Amino acid sequence: MSEVVLEMQGIIKDFPGVRALNNVNFEARSGELLALMGENGAGKSTLMKVLSGVWPSPTYEGDIVLNGEKVRFANTKEAEAAGIGIIYQELNLIPELTVAENIFLDRQFTNSIGKINWNQTFSETQKILTDLGMNDIQPTDLVQNITVGKQQMVEIAKALSQKAEILVLDEPTSALTDKEVKDLFRIIRKLKTDGVCMCYISHKMEEIEQIADRIAVLRDGETIGGVTPIAEITLDQIIARMVGRDIKDMFPKADFEPGEITLEVNNLTVVNPDLPGTFKVKNASFVARKGEILGISGLMGAGRTELVEGIFGAYPQHTTGEVKLNGEVLNVSSPKDAIEAGIALLTEDRKALGLFLDKSISFNTTISSLESISSKVLGIINNQQERKIVREYVDQLGVKTPSIDTVIGTLSGGNQQKVILGKWLNSRPDVFILDEPTRGIDIGAKVEIYKLLNELVQQGVTVIMISSELPEVLGMCDRILVMCEGAIVSNFARDEAKKEAIMAYATGSA
Amino acid sequence: MSVDSNVASMGAGSAKENHLLNFIKNNASLIALIVLVVGLSFADDAFFTERNLSNLSRQVTIIGIIAVGMTMVILTAGIDLSVGSVVGLAAVACTLMMQWGVPAFLAVPLTLIIVGGGIGLWNGFWIAKFNIPPFIITLGMLTIARGLALTLTNGSSVPVKDKSFAIIGGGYIPPMASSFILIACAALAVYSIFREVQQSTAHGVQVNKQELYVNGAVMLGGFALAFHVFTGYKGIPVPVAIFAVIAFGGIYALNNTRFGRRIYALGGNEGAARLSGIDTVRTKMVVYTIISVLAALAGIILASRLNGASPNLGTMFELDAIAAVVIGGTSLAGGSGRVAGTIIGALLIGVLNNGMSLLGVVTFYQLIIKGLIIILAVWFDVMQKNK
Repeated sequence: MSEVVLEMQGIIKDFPGVRALNNVNFEARSGELLALMGENGAGKSTLMKVLSGVWPSPTYEGDIVLNGEKVRFANTKEAEAAGIGIIYQELNLIPELTVAENIFLDRQFTNSIGKINWNQTFSETQKILTDLGMNDIQPTDLVQNITVGKQQMVEIAKALSQKAEILVLDEPTSALTDKEVKDLFRIIRKLKTDGVCMCYISHKMEEIEQIADRIAVLRDGETIGGVTPIAEITLDQIIARMVGRDIKDMFPKADFEPGEITLEVNNLTVVNPDLPGTFKVKNASFVARKGEILGISGLMGAGRTELVEGIFGAYPQHTTGEVKLNGEVLNVSSPKDAIEAGIALLTEDRKALGLFLDKSISFNTTISSLESISSKVLGIINNQQERKIVREYVDQLGVKTPSIDTVIGTLSGGNQQKVILGKWLNSRPDVFILDEPTRGIDIGAKVEIYKLLNELVQQGVTVIMISSELPEVLGMCDRILVMCEGAIVSNFARDEAKKEAIMAYATGSA
Repeated sequence: MSVDSNVASMGAGSAKENHLLNFIKNNASLIALIVLVVGLSFADDAFFTERNLSNLSRQVTIIGIIAVGMTMVILTAGIDLSVGSVVGLAAVACTLMMQWGVPAFLAVPLTLIIVGGGIGLWNGFWIAKFNIPPFIITLGMLTIARGLALTLTNGSSVPVKDKSFAIIGGGYIPPMASSFILIACAALAVYSIFREVQQSTAHGVQVNKQELYVNGAVMLGGFALAFHVFTGYKGIPVPVAIFAVIAFGGIYALNNTRFGRRIYALGGNEGAARLSGIDTVRTKMVVYTIISVLAALAGIILASRLNGASPNLGTMFELDAIAAVVIGGTSLAGGSGRVAGTIIGALLIGVLNNGMSLLGVVTFYQLIIKGLIIILAVWFDVMQKNK
């Protein structure tokens, strides 16, 4: 058996008023992939920050042991030097520079007067890339021109070029297509044979099954159940460790008879302003019915987000086509028009397009329906009424917060998403479009959101859900549209939908 | 309601532990202002006199009025560099109109609409419709408006003969009426705080008692000081009354109206604001129009006080206004800040100018000191946010 290279012993990390890590213990061996799992807020990112020196040595209790020696990092540089490489979820590359420049950023090969030796930089980069089998990346490629998947490879190459022996990957596949995930796993398997120790943070069970050797689960800042070989544990047991209880019904789909057509989209086209003559969405036509959950599946970049944002009036200059709501043609030239017509859109990118991070829960809940809580003439807001409404949504959706005045940025992802759901429910939509509503939130909150979707459907709302997670689409939707390269290529009824068939259409191979 | 979200309770816990420290951090400019006033009172006998403080308050109003508008602009993550030139153009336009025989009561609103409204809409149009950086558009307007003022007057000053015009910048509300107004306002303020607390507690919102008491004390202290100064010297100056109304309007609009929410949303996250159904184009147009109208008003007040206008009036006022906003804690990145902070910022600059002049500090040094204080204030603010 390979040797233990990393040990975390009794790590305790306190923040004012809260213990983020409470006695974390695990060890990881060379040449293995240790999956670190846990719900959002379980302490995974804090743990990483302790390991990477973001939180320096005296600010936590416990010991980090590297190759049998206790280490104390005063900063991230020291952790890096000790051989710990971290690939964050949000990539840290400079888009305007080449792959080679990014890999050798701040460690360029220079001559005595500081002139950079580009030939050496590029050839060294080529060597690293070849060693890792990343043959489709060129050292001279600009990072902004390569896919997110390849960017991630570059990050890994960068970390390894700094002699990292321990590689921490934080949800590395959250933005990757299936093919890119396969490439990543190929690299990971190669690194295993090279003896690199990897800690892999992820929510996705299927991935863990595929590549993890052992697993450690964090819950409320504690390691639950110790480090367990993946062969000796079932998915249900993992989930039980993560949430502290059994989740019997992951997809609580309620049967409900769909009614008349509410939303009708005819030949919707969104042109790509960056590349004239190309399209993000091409001639998309579909209908959605009252009381159904319509799923939109497809790979990233298939045009799903652009389709719904086009319907929502997010880019009126680039959108053509007809949108009918309850039989009437809508003239939507801005999201404002769409909202007034009765459409709501929960955006995919929660931070960039959904939240006002440094504002309160109240602010975030009422921002899209201020008219309902303010006077017609001067727009004076009725605070009493606002608080009452916000209070109701917070209670109804089970948002965990000390107060409705709490800044939303301090909540967990799941709770933030619930507030955004409340914001759109408050606009009382006929058609509620949700773009990746469960991305980055924990299982408990996911199930609550599914239940809410059921309730909405029963109230006669038309729900459209975009999702990259096939189990979710298959589990929750009455009908599934599949998009590929900007076009709707297939339409499955619930009972006909199969994972393989959807993937075939999504990848354009059907 | 269950409170088991660790992260969320974290903020509340630490706030309780360091009430005083937090108060000092959050109110650094207020504390600096108080320290400065106390210090100057000891340093120079002429400072803490009714007459000097009354004049000081009147001097602050010009920058103060512009700064209220600037707060809104900066909250949207914008900037308006043209306000100083608008001051000059408005002063010139208003006085010229009166010279041509337009009575003051018509010249003033005409100036506000034509100069203020016109320039504001122009700025807002380019910024909002075509997404051109506000810095560029208003920089262009800075020279355009100044050029217009110089062209209209051919570079020379315009005197004012109409006596009634002087009331705007130089008049006083009689002491009796002033004291009545001040007492009424103080009572109203106390009542509104009281009601706010009641409503908050009714909805389970925790009220920070200590902060509330301190804020209340500061406010009542301010009223008491105003009472002392204004009833002791001629009454409330008219421009101070105008400024008070505008400042109150600004605070109220930002805190309690749809318009205010839209401004914060726009500055906090423009993409999210648009997708939340906010008409970002209209909101920006309105904001830039408001600040130009306020700058025009400041120009009129200035012309009234000087009994005439020169085309160079208001030069560099944009910098003082921006400084007041920034010292008041509003973030140049948009989305967070308060008009109350801006007022303190404007007062701080005013007191500093006044104090340094009284102490006989050479104007050259005054500029240097003012610049250092702006840097210090922003540095402090950035340090706070990085923690």
